[in-house]
Amino acid sequence: MLEAFKAIKEKHMEAKRIIDEATAEAEKIKQEAAQETLSAYEQAYNAAINQAEQKAIDVKREAAREAEHELEKILSQAEKQAKKIETKAEKNFEKAADAVLNMVLQ
Amino acid sequence: MMESARAITEVILQEARKLAEHIIQEAQQSVEDTLEKQRQRGINRANEVAQSIFKKAENEAEVIKLRIMAEAKIKANWAVLSKKEQQITAVLNETKNRLKILTQSKEYIPILEKLITDAGVILGGKELEVLLNEQDSTLPLKLGKLAREISEKTGVETTLRSSKEKTKVIGGAMVRTIDGKVVMDNTFDDILKRRVKDLRSKIAKILFK
Repeated sequence: MLEAFKAIKEKHMEAKRIIDEATAEAEKIKQEAAQETLSAYEQAYNAAINQAEQKAIDVKREAAREAEHELEKILSQAEKQAKKIETKAEKNFEKAADAVLNMVLQ
Repeated sequence: MMESARAITEVILQEARKLAEHIIQEAQQSVEDTLEKQRQRGINRANEVAQSIFKKAENEAEVIKLRIMAEAKIKANWAVLSKKEQQITAVLNETKNRLKILTQSKEYIPILEKLITDAGVILGGKELEVLLNEQDSTLPLKLGKLAREISEKTGVETTLRSSKEKTKVIGGAMVRTIDGKVVMDNTFDDILKRRVKDLRSKIAKILFK
């Protein structure tokens, strides 16, 4: 009978040790995670910010690309207009030169 | 008795192991939850900051667009204006060439004489001298006749003499009082210079209408 109690007591002690060890292990896990927690915040924050910054760069790049496209259109139109001016001026050149000469000699 | 004690101890140990496992799992779950919450906090905070990053990027993008468009308009206007300017300058250069050719022709002498007379009248007559370029100085100008014309138009007795001083101009004449105090510049060069604004406007109207 005594032996039986003794065995139960021993196993009870072992069970307590198992639980104590598990509790200590759990505490250790939580402590180790404290640093990770900060790191998790920073990593998530930095990743999201990097993504936002990349999007911002893309937005600006796209705006510049669109504007450059418009610029080319405007310059092309101006070139056409300049060509028209040149053609018209060539056609009226003699008339203008005659008129100026007359004005000078008046 | 020993058999039932063994059974009890086995149950105690099994329960203890289960509890231990549960404690560790709970700790791990708690850590995972905390990490997830922190990640979410980081993302949420970053999203707040991202809004201002996007807003700033949109403003900068607008500025980029406006700057490029303004540059485009300036370049376009410059292209058109420089083409016009080029054509106007070509006409003015052509006019100078025609004036040079004119100075070699028979028609030039009466024109030069008229320029001298006009200048003399503007100066009000009296004792005047005429400055010409090297080539025009060799022309058979009737300065006496011109002086009479000036006298008639101004009512003032006038004399005209040719100056030894020579001008470096396309053609035309510079007339001044004998004391050199008053000068009327009727050279082609000065006429062009004086009237350049009107001439350019006239040229533009004819060329681009």
